[in-house]
Amino acid sequence: MPNPSPEFRYPLHWRLMDAVERIADLVWPRRLSRHTGWLFIAPALLLVGLLVLGLIQIADASLRTLDTSTFLMSEDWSTENYRKALSSSTYLTVAWRSLSAAVLTTVLTLILAFPYAWALVRVKKAWIRKALLITLFLPFFIGQVVRAYGWLIILGNSGMVNEALSLVGVTPMRLLFNYGAVVFGLVQYMLPFAVLLLVPALTAIPEETETAAGSLGASWPRILWHVLLPMAKPGLIGAGLVVFTLTLTDFAVPAMLGGGGQDFIANAIYDQFFRTADQGLGSALALILVAAGSVLVGLVFMIFGAGTLAMGGRK
Amino acid sequence: MSGTGSSDAVVARNVDMDFGTGAMAVKQAGFSLARGRFLTILGPSGSGKTTLLRMIAGFQTPTRGEILIGGKPADAVAPHRRSVGMVFQKLALFPHMSVEENVAFPLKMRRFNPREIPGRVAQYLDLVRLGGFAKRRINELSGGQQQRVAIARALVFEPELLLLDEPLAALDRKLREEMQLEFRRIQKELGVTTINVTHDQREALVVSDEIIVMDQGEIQQHASPVEMYRRPANPFVAHFIGVSSFLAGRRTETGLTVNGSDCAGQAVADIAPGAEARGAIRAEQVRIAAPGDALSGCDTVLEGQVSDTIFEGERLLYFVTLPALATTIQVFHHDPAEHAPYARGATVSVGWTARDLLIFPAKDR
Repeated sequence: MPNPSPEFRYPLHWRLMDAVERIADLVWPRRLSRHTGWLFIAPALLLVGLLVLGLIQIADASLRTLDTSTFLMSEDWSTENYRKALSSSTYLTVAWRSLSAAVLTTVLTLILAFPYAWALVRVKKAWIRKALLITLFLPFFIGQVVRAYGWLIILGNSGMVNEALSLVGVTPMRLLFNYGAVVFGLVQYMLPFAVLLLVPALTAIPEETETAAGSLGASWPRILWHVLLPMAKPGLIGAGLVVFTLTLTDFAVPAMLGGGGQDFIANAIYDQFFRTADQGLGSALALILVAAGSVLVGLVFMIFGAGTLAMGGRK
Repeated sequence: MSGTGSSDAVVARNVDMDFGTGAMAVKQAGFSLARGRFLTILGPSGSGKTTLLRMIAGFQTPTRGEILIGGKPADAVAPHRRSVGMVFQKLALFPHMSVEENVAFPLKMRRFNPREIPGRVAQYLDLVRLGGFAKRRINELSGGQQQRVAIARALVFEPELLLLDEPLAALDRKLREEMQLEFRRIQKELGVTTINVTHDQREALVVSDEIIVMDQGEIQQHASPVEMYRRPANPFVAHFIGVSSFLAGRRTETGLTVNGSDCAGQAVADIAPGAEARGAIRAEQVRIAAPGDALSGCDTVLEGQVSDTIFEGERLLYFVTLPALATTIQVFHHDPAEHAPYARGATVSVGWTARDLLIFPAKDR
């Protein structure tokens, strides 16, 4: 090894790294290196641990009923809250609405996100790709509440859409505060997530594969059906799961675009905690939501695998 | 090889391809290929060979000129209705399907009788010697086996034309040479007209009935492998196929004068005496011997010094500096029993016959 000349000094950031390494050696000696993996996931374990503690507390609260005369939680445990939640037709309607909207939103979002992601991956010109990315992300940066408010302005009874319709002689109609408006808002909100999760899956499909399918005799609908969709399946499952769980537990969009008449489970939970102050019933609803969501996601995992969420692991 | 008859499977006339990025990708390409022949388009990267193939496949439309397949323009029908099978550079197999599903894919897409499909798939898997692999997944196969699936998939619907887009480029040498012989066997067995693209001169010589050499978008020569090797049309072809040394000088009655020394050779074109010219001689056609050896039969004998010796296994490559010509030439020595008889710096005699030094006009590239 050639000796560096005496006046030679390693650059500052190299010496800094050396110092960091020496300190790391003191704090976490090399013989502990086979446990280093645990060190890395320690922050995540801490976070999940806190969540579990919170869940235990919620589970405890869900078993206590509210005394409406004293506004105190009962000392004894009972399943009264669950009975109330599961037998109430109001909550059944809310649950069904959340679930159907989540399924509908997932399907619509995937249908819209797939061509968008495909265009993003396949487009040759850099400026078109940039334009597509900016169009995708601009609403992403605005935040859910402001965006929902924007829709109130655009879709309101005297909003832009109704103004435009009145120009061609259509009488103003109610576009807001219904199921359609909520699903519309949710799809618009979820689209960037879905596109972002689909892009890696589509990037993994070489363009040559599409060309090859064409040269073997497949027209483009058949290329889509027999080659692109099956090969993009992991991305579709990953994107679908994320959109589904985010939608199922969404709060802001149904609250603002639903106008109080289109509540999701999260809104019902909010009401119990902060309006009625019935922590017990709110906790029971929250746990039912967690359980239902987990069971549904678990079913998808079992049937289709975890898609891209498995990070390359086998199902 | 020239002339356009009704038996021609592929005809290209004055084909230009201009991507608008400066030099044209393909310039004035014209050739015809008879039915059942195996043509290789050979050239360095950027020579336009892949662009020419993609135009023949109908993926790109020529800026000018026309390409006819079976008498019809290549891009007249939609890609999925063309009778062209293609093996792609990265194979483009479908990873979510089994071997037999991959091979059955074109039959299903082209609406073959469903009862016919299993028999045909089995027949073509046998052809590429993958008989027992029908149920395997693509990622369970070796590189060579994947090649075979791609070939079966491209041939199973009996296309008029088979195109090979450098599918062997990524294989290691042993496997590549094995697959070259497989391509040749399968092509001869089916008699399907085939166009192969490669930058590997050995592959071109081994597999083809005819070769087109391309450089900078232009066809340099279209000939049989033997003709291409024996009578290269210009210095580029001489340089690209085999190992040649070049001598710059002037034309004389008997050959070429280089640095004042006469070199016996034969001109490939009419060159006026005294005009600038370039000679090319293949390394295997130069003989090497101890100094003072008469090298009987050689028309030109010169003395020089060995400046480097490279052991290539089946042969030795000498670099011999010739003071009389003020240049260094390359010489192969094929005698394994006599390996390394001349050390670096040794004085040797080299010689050649007039037939083997080819003289080209100096303006040729």
